[in-house]
Amino acid sequence: MAVAVAKQRKVRALGSERVREALVGYAFIALPMAFFLLFFIFPIGYALYISRYDWGIFKGESVGWDNYRTLFHDSVFWHHAVRNTLVYTAVVVPLQMAIGLSLAVVVNQSIRFRTFFRAAFYFPSLAASAAIATIAIYILASDGLLNTILGHLGYHHDNAWFTQQSTALPSIMGLNAWTTSGTMMLFYLASLQAIPTDVYEAAAIDGAGPWRTFWKVTFPLLKPGHFFVAVVSIIGALQMFDQSFIIGGASGGPNYSTLTVVLYLYNQAIGNIHFGYAAAVGLVLFAFIFTVTLIQRLLFGKAEVA
Amino acid sequence: MASEELPPVPPVAAAQEFAATGEAAAGTAPSVIPGRERADRIRTLIAYTVMFTIAALFAVPFLWSISTSLRPTAETVAGFSLLPHDWTTIGYHDMFHKYNFTRYTINSAIIAGAVTVSNVFLASLGGYAFARLRFPGREVLFMLVLGTLMIPDQLRLVPVYQMLVNILPKYTHTDLINQKGVILIQLVSATSLFLMRQYFLTIPRDLEEAAKLDGAGYFKTYRRVMLPLAGPALAAVAILMFQGTWNGLFWPAVLLQDRSQYTIPIALTFFRNIYQTQWPILMAASVLAIVPILVLFVAFQRYFVAGVASAGVKG
Amino acid sequence: MRKRLTLPALLAAMVLVAAVLTAGSQAMTDRGKGPAGPAQSAATTVTLNGWQSSPAEEDLLAKVVKAFEKSHPKIKVNYSSFNNYQATMLAKFSARKPPDVFYVDVADFADWVRQGVLEPLDKYAAKSKFSSKPFYKNLLNAFKYKGKIYGYPKDWSSLGMEVNTKLLGSNPIPTTWAQLRSVASKLNVPNGKPICLSADWARLMAFVYQAGGNGQFKNANSAPFRTAVNYYVGLIKDGLAALPDKTGSSWCGEAFGKERAAIAFEGNWMFPTMKDFPDVSFKTAPMPKGKTRGNLAFTVSYSMAKDSKHKAAAWELLKYLTGPVGMKKWISLGLALPSRSDVKPVAGRGAFVKYPGFTHGWGNQVQFRHIWNDVANNELTAVIDGKESVNAMLQKIQSAARGG
Repeated sequence: MAVAVAKQRKVRALGSERVREALVGYAFIALPMAFFLLFFIFPIGYALYISRYDWGIFKGESVGWDNYRTLFHDSVFWHHAVRNTLVYTAVVVPLQMAIGLSLAVVVNQSIRFRTFFRAAFYFPSLAASAAIATIAIYILASDGLLNTILGHLGYHHDNAWFTQQSTALPSIMGLNAWTTSGTMMLFYLASLQAIPTDVYEAAAIDGAGPWRTFWKVTFPLLKPGHFFVAVVSIIGALQMFDQSFIIGGASGGPNYSTLTVVLYLYNQAIGNIHFGYAAAVGLVLFAFIFTVTLIQRLLFGKAEVA
Repeated sequence: MASEELPPVPPVAAAQEFAATGEAAAGTAPSVIPGRERADRIRTLIAYTVMFTIAALFAVPFLWSISTSLRPTAETVAGFSLLPHDWTTIGYHDMFHKYNFTRYTINSAIIAGAVTVSNVFLASLGGYAFARLRFPGREVLFMLVLGTLMIPDQLRLVPVYQMLVNILPKYTHTDLINQKGVILIQLVSATSLFLMRQYFLTIPRDLEEAAKLDGAGYFKTYRRVMLPLAGPALAAVAILMFQGTWNGLFWPAVLLQDRSQYTIPIALTFFRNIYQTQWPILMAASVLAIVPILVLFVAFQRYFVAGVASAGVKG
Repeated sequence: MRKRLTLPALLAAMVLVAAVLTAGSQAMTDRGKGPAGPAQSAATTVTLNGWQSSPAEEDLLAKVVKAFEKSHPKIKVNYSSFNNYQATMLAKFSARKPPDVFYVDVADFADWVRQGVLEPLDKYAAKSKFSSKPFYKNLLNAFKYKGKIYGYPKDWSSLGMEVNTKLLGSNPIPTTWAQLRSVASKLNVPNGKPICLSADWARLMAFVYQAGGNGQFKNANSAPFRTAVNYYVGLIKDGLAALPDKTGSSWCGEAFGKERAAIAFEGNWMFPTMKDFPDVSFKTAPMPKGKTRGNLAFTVSYSMAKDSKHKAAAWELLKYLTGPVGMKKWISLGLALPSRSDVKPVAGRGAFVKYPGFTHGWGNQVQFRHIWNDVANNELTAVIDGKESVNAMLQKIQSAARGG
């Protein structure tokens, strides 16, 4: 009798069960997908459409793919915007991940004042970027706190960090690494919670010390977390805008050193009123980020299925 | 939330258990080794010193903000000093009486609260579906979701504005260039969905299998099994979305036309222009703006404690 | 583990969100506007937008607007200001839901008018007999396109030379380029340099006019530009001048106020700024003379949107704000100069308006904001840093302005 029931169940599972599962799946994602359609898919379609026109504020004449052709030869875009963005991403992402992970591991332990440390490390992520930018400009001014301290240590730096060509972008990198590490810490903390306790027990029984446990057990088990943090970090870094806008003064100066791709897009749209061209820039950026993420998924795809 | 004793974290729990039942308990305790205890204590002291230094490094700019918020304006253009010479609360006073800060705080709270709740709900449902349910086109749709993160706000400005001003009002007859619009365009974020999905992926399948064998449907499994285990991820989403919306400037600045709907970040821009920065009031507003998120963070971070209790559920 | 997030709780929260989305903000908006009454149905509401400036300015404009409403009971004005002005306005234009009356910065005018978002005002002015005569010609011309008027200047500012009398000592106030150099080399400014110069063409261009040039970016690769840039950058290279960030300041006004510069070239907006530095004794003087005199006029207009739905009412507001009554109220703070000759400026502004014939409008060239902000200023910082030659910079600016 039990065998017959089991067989029945299996038959049902193959057919309508799958359909039911699919329908439930669609139902669960219906609202978010509708939302994304209205406010993300429509805009990207809009951008693709207007990028094929000489579009100022309103529709101009059709230019086919000319905007993209011009962009291909645009030296300011490639030599400054793209270069700065790639350099920025290459430095900030590993930095954020490393600091975030270190902080998360520390505050995951049962240490004294743990809540205080968690709050302290998350502090820079808490404040509004406008306030942080203002404070940073003050601290990194030519006679600001940082230069004063450096002076006492014997290293005289007379310039303002944000307005000198050689230190402007690195300063923004440092600032952003500092402000976003807290968020990465948060992500890693959440991921650390998902690791079941018996793995640590097994490691302890095997006699593994804390370092080995971390590298051989924790680190590999964090793969979904790493993937998440890496993807989100890279996507965010490639779109850096706020600090360049507030601190670099919207022109991407001094001497294009803080010009990023999104700032270039913004200036083409708002300053030069070339919405069509700006849309082309946006789509090229989108395609690049999408490709990078796709590659990440293919490389780390296997690790995801737990 | 009652303040009950929270279980210790995995590494510590493992160590404790080992100490209690393992070889150490049998008498060959490491502390018998001379000097070991003192070395441990010194190591701990160094560890805590390093941690406090780093915490100080992270916190010093804010301590300086608090200090600046308690100065009069004249002192802020003078040289640098760590503590105010003339302690005054005029920054805070002006903020509430000259600038209607209470109103702005309430507005920020409404928007941030609504967006956070919406995200927690929609992202957990969607994240579970993408992680555990099979439906055709799942991977493509997920890449689409990730794709929404790759479109900068600056590129979306005009089409979203068109959507809120022209397209949606045609069908819904509501004015959306206001607080409602700001909430509507942030109902769910791909980051939240992504986070929930990744988290659900790491939960061992045996728990769901058990529920299925008991005859639970998909929604029941989600509600009874996955959701309670998702505490840390939900907490992360809540903190992240609240903080992001609370500090968000771009969309509120574009969409809020009525002064009575302004949010705190918009108010912060009042105090700084090319000619002058009104430091005391800017710092006072920044300091007060941090408080709600800090409270939320402290309240929710306690979820980052319990791991998946796997005792008794072996595959 | 008691952290059970029950479905009812989540559903209740979602209902709350929905409630906020459909009802909440309605109450907010109502509270924000004025009292609704029977007069509301007959009144037209006109939207006025400007960018955010100091709270003092915004309060003043609100007062002027109230005075207008009093004298025009059938028109209500909805005034709001915001940051990121250009971006928000462009979004509104493109959705065809612009405000009725709004600021137009002269640096944006040439591009905005060519996009067709501004309404020509000549026929309104003719109908209400609103004369253009009192407006200063070069200010009014800055907002003309193809012979028609697309905005009336609401005020203007120009540059002057501020000199710290204590640091100047017994030296005379310089009046020519040569004198500026010689006086500066005699000054000793502790913790700074004698002159503060900005790495901004919105200051440098005045020197181009002083060198006899015509201030158009499309003529950048010419002798007057070269002379002016060499003189300007030369002051920095010879240690007589420094950029504001070298003295821990965000602009020269701040450096001057902190007494880390003895001479600065800023506009009449310095007066409210210097109130923050009451111990500094200073005098204002006209810009120095090179081959000739030269100064820049920065101005903003009130314009009407082509897509405005209340053009007649909008015109009434515009007329009032740029008329003698409204303008007199507006410039009473002394932050800007009146653009009409029948409104007297606040006292003490003589140095800034001394040579009106030599004051040239800043802007009114196509793609102006882009060339100024994205190209010219970046290239200038490269030259000041010694990373590029003057000729290379001027060539780049010229080709960008000529559509390169």
